[in-house]
Amino acid sequence: MDTNDQYGGQHDTRRPRIRHRGRTRGAVPRRVRLAAAAGAAALVLTAGLATPLDPAPREALAADDGKRTLTVAVAQSVDSLSPFLAVRLLSTSIHRLTYEYLTNYDPEDNHVVPGLATRWKSSPDKLTWTYTIRSDSKWSDGKRATAEDAAWTFNTMMTDEGAATANGSFTANFEEVTAPSPTELVIRLKKPQATMTALDVPIVPRHVWEKVDDFSKFNNDKDLPVVGNGPFVLTGYKPDSYVRLEANKDFWRGAPKFDALLFRYYKDQDAAVSALRKGEVSFVAGSPSLTPAQAASLRNEKNIKVNDAPGRRFYALATNPGAKAKNGEKIGDGHPSLLDQRVRNALFMAVDRKTVVDKVFQGHAVDGAGYIPPRYAHYFWEPSAGQELAYDPGKAARLLDQAGFMRNGDGKRVGKDGKPLNYRILCHATDPNDKAIGRYLEEWWGALGIGVTLNCLDNVTDPWLAGEYDLAFDGWSVNPDPDFVLSIHTCGALPATPEDTGATDNFICDEKYDGLYAQQLAEYDPAERANIVQQMQSRLYDLGYMNVMTYPNAVEAYRTDQIESITTMPSEAGNIYGQDGYWGWWSAVPADSGEGSGGSSSTGVVVGIVAGVVVLAGLGVFVAMRRRATAEDRE
Amino acid sequence: MTTDKGTTTGTPATPPTTTPAAPDSVGGPRTLAWRRRRASAARFWRQYRTHRSGVVGLAALLLFALAAVTAPLLVGSDVDNVTDAPGSPLERPSSEFPFGTDRFGRDLLGLVIWGARVSLLVGLLAAVLSVAIGTLIGVTAGHFRGWYATVVMRVTDWFLVMPTLVLAIALATVMSRSLVTIVVAIGVTTWPTTARLVRAQTLAVETRPYIERARALGGGHWHVMSRHVLPQVMPLVLAQTTLIISAAILAEATLAFLGLGDPTGVSWGGLLQDAREAGAVSAGHWWYLVPPGIAIAVVALAFTLCGRAVESVLNPRLGVSR
Repeated sequence: MDTNDQYGGQHDTRRPRIRHRGRTRGAVPRRVRLAAAAGAAALVLTAGLATPLDPAPREALAADDGKRTLTVAVAQSVDSLSPFLAVRLLSTSIHRLTYEYLTNYDPEDNHVVPGLATRWKSSPDKLTWTYTIRSDSKWSDGKRATAEDAAWTFNTMMTDEGAATANGSFTANFEEVTAPSPTELVIRLKKPQATMTALDVPIVPRHVWEKVDDFSKFNNDKDLPVVGNGPFVLTGYKPDSYVRLEANKDFWRGAPKFDALLFRYYKDQDAAVSALRKGEVSFVAGSPSLTPAQAASLRNEKNIKVNDAPGRRFYALATNPGAKAKNGEKIGDGHPSLLDQRVRNALFMAVDRKTVVDKVFQGHAVDGAGYIPPRYAHYFWEPSAGQELAYDPGKAARLLDQAGFMRNGDGKRVGKDGKPLNYRILCHATDPNDKAIGRYLEEWWGALGIGVTLNCLDNVTDPWLAGEYDLAFDGWSVNPDPDFVLSIHTCGALPATPEDTGATDNFICDEKYDGLYAQQLAEYDPAERANIVQQMQSRLYDLGYMNVMTYPNAVEAYRTDQIESITTMPSEAGNIYGQDGYWGWWSAVPADSGEGSGGSSSTGVVVGIVAGVVVLAGLGVFVAMRRRATAEDRE
Repeated sequence: MTTDKGTTTGTPATPPTTTPAAPDSVGGPRTLAWRRRRASAARFWRQYRTHRSGVVGLAALLLFALAAVTAPLLVGSDVDNVTDAPGSPLERPSSEFPFGTDRFGRDLLGLVIWGARVSLLVGLLAAVLSVAIGTLIGVTAGHFRGWYATVVMRVTDWFLVMPTLVLAIALATVMSRSLVTIVVAIGVTTWPTTARLVRAQTLAVETRPYIERARALGGGHWHVMSRHVLPQVMPLVLAQTTLIISAAILAEATLAFLGLGDPTGVSWGGLLQDAREAGAVSAGHWWYLVPPGIAIAVVALAFTLCGRAVESVLNPRLGVSR
């Protein structure tokens, strides 16, 4: 489940820039201030020179012990390294790399290909599925990976609530899972389930995980290296610092070409881009995407390739549907006017999606329509001309009038209680796009007579789970099989009580949608299932709880002098970071290093030395002048 | 506040009540007082004029103040409007947009001019708040002594050792985001230096004989503090205010840059934050970063220059300056 949850964005820890404030006390001698000023000037000058003085350390490739390391700059924090808990894009990508799943998706066109299972078949009643488990997959501690491990993994998820946290939607319908032999896995279902060839569940080694007491607390990050059977083995982890993976030489599909894969944290995208320019990292992840300005400037750079691929993510404006728990208790304090579908639709009709694409994303995104991005053409759905909530502020104003929210004397719309409408929008302080679109919303909705309070936070999770928002910027990565992203809007995903946490994304609970969800899950005919999924999207669209604004592109960049080739997924205009498989990192081929960079670095040294001499001479003159100038001041 | 008794800061002579009035003057004491004030203002200006750097700073300040006040006429109040921004995003400087455009396609020259309003306003208000707190604490602590002074000065010390920026960030985070928040956050974190300074001066003033005389004549605490001590520390406070303003402007820019500013308004720090978020730093879009950065530096420098000049005019102990 390579999903990227809405609040998983990045918990950017703002590092306060230390500012030297001169304590402005009259008694400070003038000379001390001058010296400080000169020192500061020198610091600034040397900082400016860092680039030429530092002849591009190619440490990303030339690692200490001759290992070829692929360094990837990432920003997203790891929520958990336990496959039973992780939902964020980075963590689930790491699980793709370190554990085999029963099946995988083809990098060419996303069709299902063998993973840990080599073959699978279902009984005529579609209720019993038999998987043949490959015999050439070994755990990194030498033991063979068997059907027994898979059966234990599924059984644990079925019986232990904590183990079902992340991927419980896959096993909710399982009756019984057994392993009659090391190469045979049998799953019996209560009802037919369409996702049986797309079970995005990492299979864990039983002999290691049996010892875990509490799956809801175990984060799998203490006992390194972590035993796995994917193309890489997790060997190092420091929260918000790095995640280190090393190649699994015995991987059944063939060892990766790079010896190690290092996800290194750059909480600041500009710093990551600078590191890429200097060659300290080989790859800058498109999560969050590079800004249009960064992409444009990197495009002109030698040895850097910008990969601008249609994303697998939607970017939506979620409205609080009057959040409730399963037991019917109210959660949070969503604005009551949003319970009116006309209001929700009016709000979205005042959003000019074209401006969002053209101005905010500057073309690095596609105009939004249905819930599932157009990249999954099979499930993609677009509203008909009559159904579409196209940009029409006039119509939006009429809808609000009809709903009874009239303008008062000041031009503000007031609710039934006579209070002006004012919505709180939850936005990620770490996502520039949220803030930029927020500025537009202030003006678009302001013109409608609706007030907007942008609530940009580093940690949106707490108010989100507490239901304390009116609208929120929301986005998920969608898998080739859309079951998971559809499941997060069902009533079943709601938290049991207001104190619990559910898998729900936006507290949506709609009977008709739930009915369709159950239907698609039980439908084995791909065309018919796609049809139902499209109906679900239509329903979601009309409800106006999830208003998809755009599908942002994945804009990422890498150094071609460090990575010779790397597989995108899908191969035609696909992304690299956050794929639905391990293809990109597994297939990456290191470029021949050594020569090529020599010339430029020696020029760098020469330029640096010359610049350094000039600066030192300048400083000397400066100091000398200051000394002469202040001579009369000195005692 | 007037600066009439300004020149007497350092010298414990001439308490204001005993200033000899010209014997042949006509009119009441009020007229006399005004004449005296005019004279000392003129004297102040004559001395201030001799400080070249102070004059330069003052000129720069007047220029920025003029721009800020006339901004609605110069650039129009819709300059920060994103929906009908005139240009396309991140345009280079051109004849149409001398400073280029920002990520929304807005004119950066207009934004920098408009941003002066917030930066100057916050700088002034925060400095006034900070100095007001500092003066209140300083004068009372210097006047009352005893346990009150001990307690208050320990609190001051505590604020003094707290990292100002961290405290301001914490305050700005817990309070709702608005201009008032920023003013308060800066104001309540920068007062301790003023308090210490004012207390020292108060202690010095209170030892002078005329204070004793005033007490003997029945002057109460309030009378002594407001009529005798405050006028004597006022010059110091004035100079301190000018200096704190530059610190407050920098603090405002820092908070806005860290994303803690008023999200609805345009300020220089906010522009820098926008630029950073748009990736202007790594993309090399210098025109997005340089104008607000220079504006902050110039205004802070101008206030510092003025403050220094005022300080050396009012405080003879600082000696003859160049």
